Amino acid sequence: MSEIDAAVAGGRTWEEFGRGAAGEQGDESISEESRRVLTFEVDATAYAVAVERVREIVRIRPITPVPRVSRDVRGIISLRGEIVEVVDLRRRLGLDSIDPIRSTRIIVVSAEDGRVAGLLVDAVHEVLSIEEDSIRAAAGGETESVESLCTHGDRFISLIDLDRILRIDADG
Amino acid sequence: MAKKRPTRRNRNAKADREFVSEAEEILERMRADLADLGDQRTTSGNVDPELVNGLFRSAHSLKALAGMFGFEPIQDLAHRVEDLLDGLRLGRVALDARALDLIDDVVNLFGELLLNVGDVSALSGAGDRIAGLIARIEGGEGEVAAEPDEFSGLDIDPSLLRALTEYEEHRLRENLQRGRHIVLVESLFEIVSFEDGLSELSAAIREIGEVLSTLPAPGETPESQIRFSLLSATDLSINELSSRLNFPHVSVRSVLRGRSLDAGATAGGAAPPSEAREVDAPAESGAKTMQSLRSISDTVRVDIRKLDELMNLVGDLVIQRGAIGGVLTQLLGSPENSRIAADLTKTCKALDRNIKGLQAAVLDVRMVPLRQVFEKVSRVLRGLRRELDKDVQLEIRGADTELDKLIVEELVDPLMHIVRNALDHAIESPAERIERGKDPTGRIRIEAFQRGNHVVIAVGDDGRGIDVAAVRAKAEAAGLVDSDETLSEQQTLDLVFSPGISSRDQVTATSGRGVGMDVVRSNVTALGGVVDVSSVPGHGTEISMVLPITLAIIQSLIVRVDRQPFAIPLNAVLETLIVDAADVQRSDDREMLNLRGEALFLRRLAVEFDLAPAAAGPKLFVVVLGMGELRVGLVVDALEGQRDTVIKPIQGPVQNLRGIAGATDLGGQEPVLVLDVAALVDEVGRRREAA
Repeated sequence: MSEIDAAVAGGRTWEEFGRGAAGEQGDESISEESRRVLTFEVDATAYAVAVERVREIVRIRPITPVPRVSRDVRGIISLRGEIVEVVDLRRRLGLDSIDPIRSTRIIVVSAEDGRVAGLLVDAVHEVLSIEEDSIRAAAGGETESVESLCTHGDRFISLIDLDRILRIDADG
Repeated sequence: MAKKRPTRRNRNAKADREFVSEAEEILERMRADLADLGDQRTTSGNVDPELVNGLFRSAHSLKALAGMFGFEPIQDLAHRVEDLLDGLRLGRVALDARALDLIDDVVNLFGELLLNVGDVSALSGAGDRIAGLIARIEGGEGEVAAEPDEFSGLDIDPSLLRALTEYEEHRLRENLQRGRHIVLVESLFEIVSFEDGLSELSAAIREIGEVLSTLPAPGETPESQIRFSLLSATDLSINELSSRLNFPHVSVRSVLRGRSLDAGATAGGAAPPSEAREVDAPAESGAKTMQSLRSISDTVRVDIRKLDELMNLVGDLVIQRGAIGGVLTQLLGSPENSRIAADLTKTCKALDRNIKGLQAAVLDVRMVPLRQVFEKVSRVLRGLRRELDKDVQLEIRGADTELDKLIVEELVDPLMHIVRNALDHAIESPAERIERGKDPTGRIRIEAFQRGNHVVIAVGDDGRGIDVAAVRAKAEAAGLVDSDETLSEQQTLDLVFSPGISSRDQVTATSGRGVGMDVVRSNVTALGGVVDVSSVPGHGTEISMVLPITLAIIQSLIVRVDRQPFAIPLNAVLETLIVDAADVQRSDDREMLNLRGEALFLRRLAVEFDLAPAAAGPKLFVVVLGMGELRVGLVVDALEGQRDTVIKPIQGPVQNLRGIAGATDLGGQEPVLVLDVAALVDEVGRRREAA
């Protein structure tokens, strides 16, 4: 069980978890040369999103499909009374959708205008501090939704361009 | 001189908001009083002193408020206006058009300053204008000099006269000028209970006149009693007054020399008691500062979002109660638990009552009377009347009708637009009206009343009416209808709600070029309402809006298509039908029903929403939806009954979900989509037009 799974399973909110993590490292350690990201998995590929944009992580729950909308939008969920659209990141990245698996999670993120959206991912991993100098621009790469690539140890992690991901044409 | 630098640079934004919302309320009140004052001055010439007093108190409150929050420029200006108003209410300054304009300008500047609260540079930039206004205020004082021996004609103990405050003296003078009877009402009260007795007596006098001053009276009194004199003014004769003041130990005498006790000649006849407005106001003496303090604190200001939150919680409570009901049904099904189930049922009944009560109470808090909106509209109208040089009387009825605050907010613009249109396009110029044999003064009537779960707001005028032929021509020119298409008169009238149609060619600054009526309709339908128009050429137009009382909790019909539930707001549902599949007729590729002689076009929700269509059965479930004139039959797989629903907005990357108004929780884990009936019906209408 990963740290975040433990946090979710143990009923700690994402905010508490984030604070805890920040506290352990000490806020000062977040220097200008590094940034904190949440890593997650889609189709056996590691992706990451800036932690500031993450509001919470929730387990998969019943999703109400929405008609007449881009297939990238899987549907809507209720978050303690708030109704939020869930973007199927597999479809958004040009992959085939799958039925939820045990590790499937919804990452609830804030768009640039403050609106909230859910991202359906195969699994959530961990919060990492990544060095700025390990980040390379995605060289005209696989998809325009990836902003840049970074290396963590011997692994590559794709940093997603969240605002681009969340710009979806209504009709798709 | 008012160019002081604002004290704090980093103002607390929350404090700013608090200040602005309270100050806006005060300004709102001032604008309303000012407008009434202007009306009274021009129509009857007699001005209700309570209006001037009200304005004075408002300026005072504003000054105090600005001081509290450290807004010195606003405080300075408020202080000067307070002085000016004090002069007005004491009769030191003449209440003329100049004074009213001046106060009007000041109030408007306040409004502008409020918009820029927190913007230090804007506030100090307004310094020159503030200084200018203050100079105007100072330039106008001392115009009316008090005549020296004006009260010599009064048969009053000089000591009593000397005890009058400047304001009371002014009121006495004013009433004398108006030719009212001045009387001294004396009464004995028990010391232990004199306050109640005195306020009762004062209230009784206010119903038929004005209490100028309340003073302890000299003279013999028993130990346990106290005597008061109420110097009062009235249009009634002494006899009438005495008989109206049916209290023990009360004596009335006229203090106007030269008038006999039973002077039957009543000045001005049976004038309505115009001073009787604030019967519950405490006696004049010395309580004024207290009053102004109290007026701020007797209500609680609540952010509407907090009420939304409360409403959501209540909504969730209702849903959870529904879930308990489900468990209860299971319990009732098993014999060994039947006793517990019976007990639980009783408890749930009590819970239901409380939840209902709570729901009603929260809804009630959200309700506000339409008065404020109507006052805003009438204020704008007064301004326009001058601008457009049209003579119009505005008649308002049902201002106490209450609506959800959110709806009221959304209503201001559409209502304003309708009224502007009436004034600008419908009401003819005075000359034209005379020519047509009409009263040169036009009439615009705004009326609100409740009808079931809806509120109807109608705006009527007695103007020229809508020229149906011109509307038709415009619509043809705009390509909205074909020249060979037959439309009923009502159908043609309804075209005024289409984009680009205006009943007159003339473009004015007031109404613009026909933009608006289509916006009015879309605004009203967005609120779940309906807008209709009727018009009689030469006699007038009426536009009526029917709105739900609240948006917070609405009744919905739950339907099912492809096993997925959908909620349809009940206010759009005209009826539900179960019809034989064989009764469905076809025309081109469209399905329709013969519903009492009219063609009802059908749309299958499964097709509209690209869901799996149900296996063709012998019966069809049809929900008849209506929006204005349009009717559509929506075919669904199943009807599941009515539920209370709280419609919530959907957040996410896709903003405009077509055909979906929002979502609601029905107790299950997944949210249920709420259909946007207006959009669905509109789509069908459009398709019909396109066909």
